Amino acid sequence: MNSRGSKTLHIFIFVIVMGTVSGIFLVGVNLWTAPLIAKNEEIKIKSAVLDVLEIPYTKPDLLNVFQEKVREIKKERVILYKGPDEAVAFEFYGPGLWGPVFGFVSINSDLKTIRTIKILHQEETPGLGARIAEAAYLNQFRNKEFLPKLLFVPQGKSSAKNEVDAITGATGSSRALERLLNETLQKNISMLQK
Amino acid sequence: MNPLEILIASIFTHNIALVYILGMCPFIVISKNFKTAVGMGVSVIFVVTLTAIINWPIYWKLLVPLHAEIVSYLIFIIVIAATVQLLEMLIEKFFPPLQASFGIFLPLITVNCIVLAVCLFMVLRKYDFIQTLFYSFGTSAGWALAIIIMAAIKEKLILVGDIPKGLRGPGITMIIAGLMAFAFMGFAGIITLQ
Amino acid sequence: MPKKIIKRSFKHTKPYKALTTGMWQDHPTFCMVLGICSMLAITNRLDNAIAMGVGVTFCTAFSSLFVSIFRNTIPSRVRMLAYMVIIATFVICVDRFLKAYFPPISEAMGPYVGLIITNCILMGRAEAYAVKNGPWLSFLDGVGCGVGYSFMLVLMAVVREIIGFGTLLGFRVMPETWTNWVVMTIAPGAFFLLGVYLWIFRTIAKKTE
Repeated sequence: MNSRGSKTLHIFIFVIVMGTVSGIFLVGVNLWTAPLIAKNEEIKIKSAVLDVLEIPYTKPDLLNVFQEKVREIKKERVILYKGPDEAVAFEFYGPGLWGPVFGFVSINSDLKTIRTIKILHQEETPGLGARIAEAAYLNQFRNKEFLPKLLFVPQGKSSAKNEVDAITGATGSSRALERLLNETLQKNISMLQK
Repeated sequence: MNPLEILIASIFTHNIALVYILGMCPFIVISKNFKTAVGMGVSVIFVVTLTAIINWPIYWKLLVPLHAEIVSYLIFIIVIAATVQLLEMLIEKFFPPLQASFGIFLPLITVNCIVLAVCLFMVLRKYDFIQTLFYSFGTSAGWALAIIIMAAIKEKLILVGDIPKGLRGPGITMIIAGLMAFAFMGFAGIITLQ
Repeated sequence: MPKKIIKRSFKHTKPYKALTTGMWQDHPTFCMVLGICSMLAITNRLDNAIAMGVGVTFCTAFSSLFVSIFRNTIPSRVRMLAYMVIIATFVICVDRFLKAYFPPISEAMGPYVGLIITNCILMGRAEAYAVKNGPWLSFLDGVGCGVGYSFMLVLMAVVREIIGFGTLLGFRVMPETWTNWVVMTIAPGAFFLLGVYLWIFRTIAKKTE
């Protein structure tokens, strides 16, 4: 009984010591990497905002340019970024076909037409649905009217001011993007006009 | 997001074995016999659901307020290992008849990646408690479904018996898994995970 | 899987053996069919595969080293838990390092970095080799297994990226007229390719079940 007790004690002490040592080690790692990770995140968001607002910048002075030219307006949990030419950018986040889609969209100062879209994260099928994130595809959104509604039509058939091409072979991803963009734009535009 | 949608999506459209390719080691090794596959599947459903609902409050109610997210992996695996050990002892003591059909799989589950994967995805996708419950159950049920189908196919395959020598065992398992993954892609678009 | 007993010849020194068994004789993927999960999921691009390979090598090497150092102090009842903690510590380091210095790669690999913890190779080497051998040999064994595994990752990724995207490390290698085989970039293609590799290797090595 006694030897069993000491064995249990040994296990107990061992687990505690091991936990403490690795815990201390990880806290050290955290102190070292946390600021870098936070900075990466900030750079990612801010460079995307500058991109969609089409403000030229170079990598080293990204943060300065952002601070000078972009105004952040917080409204009901949504952050709106306003550029010097009154264009507005905001993020969109929602489901794609396979996983979440996350990106930024900017609208011109007339608050009626889209300027550019940039997708930062998507998990669609590479080569098919994933083309929604390609600049070549997203370029067609320029100056399209999103009111009353953006319409995705079969590839090559877009003609009206609010119509854009869907991707052939990736109907699911296109439809998901259509829904996501419309939802975000309607919601934010009504907030802007208030 | 509706918990019921999550349940269906995690079983079919986002099957963890055939879309995310996780939990492969037991998937290959233990799928030789239909009965064992069923036993393994049931044990996995049990353990995954249990650990997910234990880990959820630990992460969101304990680690996040303490800003100790860095040790989350460590905590998750300790909880998993402890749960498995506890279950093993309970079964041994109170349900000896279950030991033969269920208990022998438990130690193997500690190193099954889907247990940890469910915890990581639940954090990544910011599920609430109810969603986590449905997600973890659905995911493990999806995995169980995949391994049971695989075992059923492999049992029939032995009867054919003219597979090239080098392809026997893991090789043919991979090819079958590929075909199954194709079949499951047919479910795409029913429901989307956010 | 049947346990394999390696007869050590005296032709080579022990450290050399420790380093090379994992690369060929006891190759983690081909012989023992371990670590498939992360292998299939992240090898659709070569840069991810290389990052994964380096990460796994680092983790196997150091977790083997530490398991070996403490092999006499770890109580056998909590053996598995102890390995897990040691492995998880190193995996968290890799995860943080990627997040801090290579954010795009970290983004692309997502939760699969964390899942190195449950990569059976790490646990397998700790249990099969590191508990029985000295720190230096265990470290070499870990490096060997990691390198063997990385080699396989690269082999998969090269084929999948060239056929699936027509590129290699992001540079275009196939002619413009090449039609990308989308299937290679998603799960079924990964399964098929690994099946074919296993077939080729097992035929060469005459390993059959």
